[in-house]
Amino acid sequence: MKVAVLAKEVPDLEASVKVAEGGAALDIEKRKVLNFFDEIAVEAALKLKEGVGAEVYAVSAGAGTGTEALRRAIAMGVPTAFLINDPALDGANPLTVARALAAFVQAQGFDLIIAGRQATDDEAGLVGPMVAEILGIPSVVGITVLEAEEGKVRVTRETESGKETIELTLPALVTAEKGLYEARVPAVTGVMKAMRAKIESKSLADLGVEVAEPVKVLGYRPPAKRAAVKMIPGDAATAASELVKLLREEAKVL
Amino acid sequence: MSIWIVCEGTLDGYRSTTYELLSQARKMKADGGEEVVAVVVGDDAANKDRLSGLADKVLVLAGPNLSPYETDPWVDAIASAVGEAAPKLVCFGEGQRTRDVLPRIAARLALTAVTSAVGLKLENGVFTLNRPVQGGKAYASLELGEGTALVAFRPNSFVADAPAGLATSVEEKAVAPGASRAPVVDRVVEAGRRVDITEAQVIVCGGRGMKSADNLKLLDELAQLLGGTYGVTRAIVDAGWEGADHSIQVGKSGKTVSPGLYFACGISGATHHIMGMDTAKVVVTINTDPSAIMFEYSDYGIAGDALEVLPLVIEEIRKVKGAA
Repeated sequence: MKVAVLAKEVPDLEASVKVAEGGAALDIEKRKVLNFFDEIAVEAALKLKEGVGAEVYAVSAGAGTGTEALRRAIAMGVPTAFLINDPALDGANPLTVARALAAFVQAQGFDLIIAGRQATDDEAGLVGPMVAEILGIPSVVGITVLEAEEGKVRVTRETESGKETIELTLPALVTAEKGLYEARVPAVTGVMKAMRAKIESKSLADLGVEVAEPVKVLGYRPPAKRAAVKMIPGDAATAASELVKLLREEAKVL
Repeated sequence: MSIWIVCEGTLDGYRSTTYELLSQARKMKADGGEEVVAVVVGDDAANKDRLSGLADKVLVLAGPNLSPYETDPWVDAIASAVGEAAPKLVCFGEGQRTRDVLPRIAARLALTAVTSAVGLKLENGVFTLNRPVQGGKAYASLELGEGTALVAFRPNSFVADAPAGLATSVEEKAVAPGASRAPVVDRVVEAGRRVDITEAQVIVCGGRGMKSADNLKLLDELAQLLGGTYGVTRAIVDAGWEGADHSIQVGKSGKTVSPGLYFACGISGATHHIMGMDTAKVVVTINTDPSAIMFEYSDYGIAGDALEVLPLVIEEIRKVKGAA
């Protein structure tokens, strides 16, 4: 079985983000990591490598970004990684990113594609299923169990009312939800290997990708600021009673 | 400028997000919005009478393989209808189905797709909307261009208060979706599943300060009293507390919520938690540590032990509710 992992590089959750140039841009601290859900996707691919001898590779798309994410994947144990690097991927339409990734994995070959449920920066959740649609293969979003059988995978996911188990004939795409696996922490030898690894890169033109126009961004603003917290003094009983009064009479939410 | 709302059925009607979106679309009729179309697929048409007055038209997509819900046939059905009619805007409520189908429809028809949207305006024939970026550390304002756009809105983004009373016609459209290539072979319906946490108006959330799984019943008790649901932090999900399922985890690696009232009980305020709840309207924090970061993201705070304060709050609410 050949498994492709789609890996996105995102700012660390703790990276500072400031609205700059009077709302025209964002100033994001340069602390890059492999997306949380993609780390789980990498782990799932490695489990298939170890369990059923799957051949695994990772691919990332970005405008001058992605190397950090791929090095993390390599450090965790992914043998080969590829980068799609193109200035046109800066602020790109997710459809362009999906077209690039789809073209790449089509050329490289795959039976199963594993992506994260969404990226922690955009939280869009678009690229994974878009890749599946472009390739004409089925997709299941947000899986928490993955079992490989001959030419098939069985996956389980949480639904609004419980759980469902789905059987997929390969080729197929799944996206990883928290709970599928706990991502391993790379060993020092893995980190050393990742630092030395050569990552081959391709451009959109190499892949013959047609760029879709991105949605126009009019501007950015910081989140609405909350007024200073009103601390309610007194012993627990006094505070509880005062809180309920404030929620009724001031906030009017009870 | 036709606006379509893809409605999502529940046992006795539709998700609250469906009503919110229909209301917003009706409001925009005053700004140049034209026909409001409520799209219902398969068995979701069973309660279509509930949509009477809320839209100009209920468009029922009927055909094989649509019930129960599965991704492929729904993509086929909605994509064929959208592709044919080319409405200006197709609105979805954020949720699992939407995350299954919206990206695939967008890729199939090469349409603009935006998820996690929170606001929508129509001015001079142009739709603008907002969405959080960088995990909610900033908001982007987006302008939808030419062509059809598919947009998923977070629950509780709009108040469903626009007057109803439209003359609603019903049109049934036959579609011919293929079979699912990802068949569900086993479905487990968990009894007693409560309100979907992303749609809840009141959420009582607890963290490590709740001290043990047994104490989560306090969260549940207050939540039920207020018609809401309880949530938990990543810390206690990862610690494996009973009753702390990932499905009710609030935060970056769980659910993003936007209720009218949010209680943070025994929660310190890790960044990944704040990112999942910062759009809540009124936030109450109860924590023994008065310097907990959670207080900075709150409207009201009590520096005290949630295990001691919560029963008193419950008692107090019972008292005023009893009097009312």
